[in-house]
Amino acid sequence: MTKNFAIFPLIILLTIVSLPIAVMYGFLILDTFTDAPPGELWPDRFTLAHWRFLWDPSVVGNVWKAAGNSLILAVSIIVIVVPISSLAGYAVSRLNLPFRRFFLAGIMVMHAFPAVTLLIGVFFVLKFTGLYNTMIGVILVKGSLMLPFGIWIMKGFYDAVPWEIEMAGVQDGASRLTVFRRLILPQVKPGLVALSVFAFLDGWGEYLLPRILAPGSDMEVLSVFLNELVQADQLGYDFNLFKSVGVFYTLPVIILFVLFQNRLMNIFGGGTKG
Amino acid sequence: MRLQLQNFTKCFDGTPVIEGLDLTVEDGEMLALLGPSGCGKSTTLFSICGIYRADGGRIMFGDRDVSDLPSQKRNVGVVFQNYALYPHLTVEENIAFPLTVQKPRPSKSEIAREVRAIAELIHIENLLERRPAQLSGGQQQRVALARALVRKPDVLLLDEPLANLDAKLRLEMRSEIRRIQLETGITAILVTHDQVEAMSMCDRVAIMDKGEILQIASPTEMYRNPVNKFVAGFLGNPPITFLEGHTATEGRFAMDQGLFLPLPSRLRDLPAGQRISLGLRPEHFGSTGTAQASGRIVFVEPQGREMLFDVEAAPGVVLRSVQPVRDDVGVGDEVTWGVDVDRMLAFDMDGQTL
Amino acid sequence: MSSSADLNTGVARKSRRSDRRRPRISGLGLALLAPALFLLTLFFFAPVVLTGIFAFTDLSTSTGIGRGQYVVTPNLLRQLGDQGLTEDDATAIASVSITIDEAGIARATEGGVDPDFLSEIADRFAGESFDDPRAFSRELRGLPNAPRRPRELTQTAEYFETSVLNTRFDNPEALTAQLADVAPDVSSDTIAWIVDRSYTGARFTTANFERLATQKETLRLIGNTALYVAATLGLFNVGLGLFLAIVLFYTPKPVTSFYSTLWLLPRITPLVLYAIMWKWFTWEDGFLPIVAEQFGLPSFNYMKGSVVTAWMTMISLNGFIGASFGLILFSGALRAIPMQQLWASEVDGANRWQQVRRIILPQMRWPILFVTSYQTLSLLSSYEQIWLTTNGGPGRTTTVWALEAFTTALSNYTGNLQYGLGAAMALVLVVVGLVLSIIYLRLFKFGELVSRPKIEL
Ligand SMILES: Nc1ncnc2c1ncn2[C@@H]1O[C@H](COP(=O)(O)OP(=O)(O)OP(=O)(O)O)[C@@H](O)[C@H]1O
Ligand SMILES: [Mg+2]
Repeated sequence: MTKNFAIFPLIILLTIVSLPIAVMYGFLILDTFTDAPPGELWPDRFTLAHWRFLWDPSVVGNVWKAAGNSLILAVSIIVIVVPISSLAGYAVSRLNLPFRRFFLAGIMVMHAFPAVTLLIGVFFVLKFTGLYNTMIGVILVKGSLMLPFGIWIMKGFYDAVPWEIEMAGVQDGASRLTVFRRLILPQVKPGLVALSVFAFLDGWGEYLLPRILAPGSDMEVLSVFLNELVQADQLGYDFNLFKSVGVFYTLPVIILFVLFQNRLMNIFGGGTKG
Repeated sequence: MRLQLQNFTKCFDGTPVIEGLDLTVEDGEMLALLGPSGCGKSTTLFSICGIYRADGGRIMFGDRDVSDLPSQKRNVGVVFQNYALYPHLTVEENIAFPLTVQKPRPSKSEIAREVRAIAELIHIENLLERRPAQLSGGQQQRVALARALVRKPDVLLLDEPLANLDAKLRLEMRSEIRRIQLETGITAILVTHDQVEAMSMCDRVAIMDKGEILQIASPTEMYRNPVNKFVAGFLGNPPITFLEGHTATEGRFAMDQGLFLPLPSRLRDLPAGQRISLGLRPEHFGSTGTAQASGRIVFVEPQGREMLFDVEAAPGVVLRSVQPVRDDVGVGDEVTWGVDVDRMLAFDMDGQTL
Repeated sequence: MSSSADLNTGVARKSRRSDRRRPRISGLGLALLAPALFLLTLFFFAPVVLTGIFAFTDLSTSTGIGRGQYVVTPNLLRQLGDQGLTEDDATAIASVSITIDEAGIARATEGGVDPDFLSEIADRFAGESFDDPRAFSRELRGLPNAPRRPRELTQTAEYFETSVLNTRFDNPEALTAQLADVAPDVSSDTIAWIVDRSYTGARFTTANFERLATQKETLRLIGNTALYVAATLGLFNVGLGLFLAIVLFYTPKPVTSFYSTLWLLPRITPLVLYAIMWKWFTWEDGFLPIVAEQFGLPSFNYMKGSVVTAWMTMISLNGFIGASFGLILFSGALRAIPMQQLWASEVDGANRWQQVRRIILPQMRWPILFVTSYQTLSLLSSYEQIWLTTNGGPGRTTTVWALEAFTTALSNYTGNLQYGLGAAMALVLVVVGLVLSIIYLRLFKFGELVSRPKIEL
């Protein structure tokens, strides 16, 4: 391309705009292994003290237990969202259902619809079903609220599988279920992976539901754990400690993201957050 | 197995695409469904194999009414235009798939034997380990054929099986498919919009237009005696030339542009003044003939063995001629060539053959 | 093979079959859909319905969530006295009566009273009533097995005392009957009134909506929400998103991928950590105050210290998350523009700015509309970020509708959660959300999802 567009000033502008993020994330990493004199930004010494919480439960309590709970939550959500979405996604993508249009429109509305507004209603449902204050309740709720999104994503993947494969399978004498299981499901593996990763990230990052729907549960997840830490420590804010725990908390997210970046990008485009 | 469509009707969203169609394919016969794009060939095919549900009429396999049976119970083998091989399975697994879903499921060794047998018939023994993505178009085509045939279907349906191949492969697969069909003796329907394919591969050709079958006949019969103008125009390459005009006295045909030609002898009795059109195939205009037509050569197209000439007999009247290669005439030359009058086709104003 | 019949044209017989067959319904489809339908019913539809129902109640922590009971408390009588209950009626209702009946015996047995004594009581007084507790005690003392100690005696007597006061009834009929029993002189209208008022559970009422419609706070909430959504959307989700997408479209690849990843970070960072980072960024001893101090600017808690900075913080912390949504979508749309168009415009001598204005921006109309409508929906309803950061402060200056609904019903410091009012506020959001998402469906790609399944049998 020709050079009739001054790129350089734009990059500078871009950098200025991006500065807050760069600063926040830069110092997020920096502060976890350095210390700065009070009232100053730049660190003057290296230290691993902020990471002591990893092996010393007296610092903030047992992070590993909280991490384990988060892992259980996130994996359970995958277990709910991925199989159910892949079954339902196939049904709405390929099968003759009564009121199919209605289903599809409903799922799309639910997909666009901001589920957080339902929290009050969900609270009642849990109260009535006796699932309030249990992790199972949180898992079911989180999984269910993700379903429209999951079904929608999976429907997209199924739609991309050529109809001829399905027709050929049926011609070969296989039942629709066999066709689904042996011919179609293998084609949407990328979708299953992407949805699993997404469900994991969403479950791992979830704060609101466990905090509100299971405040008394003895399964404290990392997000709640971290926020309690910040709130409990009203007086002496040890941001470096918070950041270290936060980085510990976020590490799996970063790793998964780096591994699956390309697959996730598509999904983020139809994302649920912000 | 004999296959019959009786008064078959198919609608999309309430509008009929095919209405009251009747078609019979005899046992062991290969029939071509030939027609322009959008005429309903695939729709007919998909209805036969059970992907579409007929909105009316009956579909009979032998004495069995299969109209309401799902695909799985019809025992039809289909080769799709894009082959629809299962990308995650090897060639062997692809071919074995129809057997593995049979109930009761044949034993492993039995499946392996069947796969091997069909692979030998189709000449793909050496490809069994590969995946579809590692195959050429022609090889994929063969695998698709093997998969369609492996469970010994009653009927084989081929939807434009050659459309995605290059010219040379197409020629090769044309005879291959025919060979396999003859060897297995299976009843087959070939959907195509390529008349050469239809005529060279099939026992009979059914010409379709706008959801109707216009004519069913053997290729030569259809070429010689098309039932109407559409069929006459559709078959033949280079295509037939239509001349518009009316009958005149003394058994002559008067073109609108003022030229005269003798009428074919079988039509001499027509009363004068009736509007008709004549169809002149390029091979019936050339060195020999019972009548003469003259004009100026406006275009020459060498086609290797033959040459194609466009001769302008009068403004707006271009006669086409196919002749063995000759160098004695060229563009701009005035020529007088013979017209094989009796082999000209004639149509009334509704397009029906006279 | 080709008989003359075959030669005939297969001209269609124009007889239309009346029994047009519909595609067969797939039982498998229903089975595959069932688990999803079950969960969605439980956690999507039921909450919507419950929100709708509870919006019309005065449910709160004090009423409790289960079914209420009917109980007349001294407190209630006092309140009713202020509203016209006569002194006589009140005294009559509050009066204590003594009846020797099965229930009383049962209570006494349970209380551990000597069984011999009890059977004497039952024999002597069964079915009798006393108005005066002292008279009853006297009678009891006369019995052979009566305990010596007066305390035990009065205790036994108390088992046979009944008073409507503080007694819990499960249904209004029981209370009505009891009231009529103890206070036969009180008119039935008055009793009905008292019974009605004695209900402790939640009642149906439109008060929540009346309150929302009349209180001044509502206007402020709406104003705040509008400002929040408009500013975040306009400045960040669309404005910044578009700016980033276009600039990154022209920058060299390494620059592009660096900044794309950087801007994606807020989206993938767990919210709790993101909130901590912003606290560090804006609070005393955090980044901004320290930098401001060095430039001689006022240094304070920017997140909570002043209304203006609180708004700026809130909008940008949400906007930084939202910008990446716009960035991803707009970048996709940009890549879809045929390069030939851009090359052609350069050949025509357009500079890049003209290129952006004349070629790129016009083609961004749909993506912009998409981002706007989609994000309006999610911004309208999102409160998690705000809750974790400014939490509506300072004061209530940055409280938006969704946050207010949430805190009213589920999380406030006073401890009295007003579920009914919160549900009413949430219902407003649910309705707005539904309407917007349906509009948004109409605008975008609903057409593409109505394509029917191709296998009909
Ligand atoms: N699923 C469908 N819904 C609505 N109309 C359809 C559908 N499938 C086909 N049609 C219409 O039915 C007619 C016949 O289509 P069909 O696919 O059978 O044509 P075809 O002869 O196979 O053409 P081609 O040579 O292009 O494959 C066309 O007019 C087409 O538009
Ligand atoms: Mg077709």
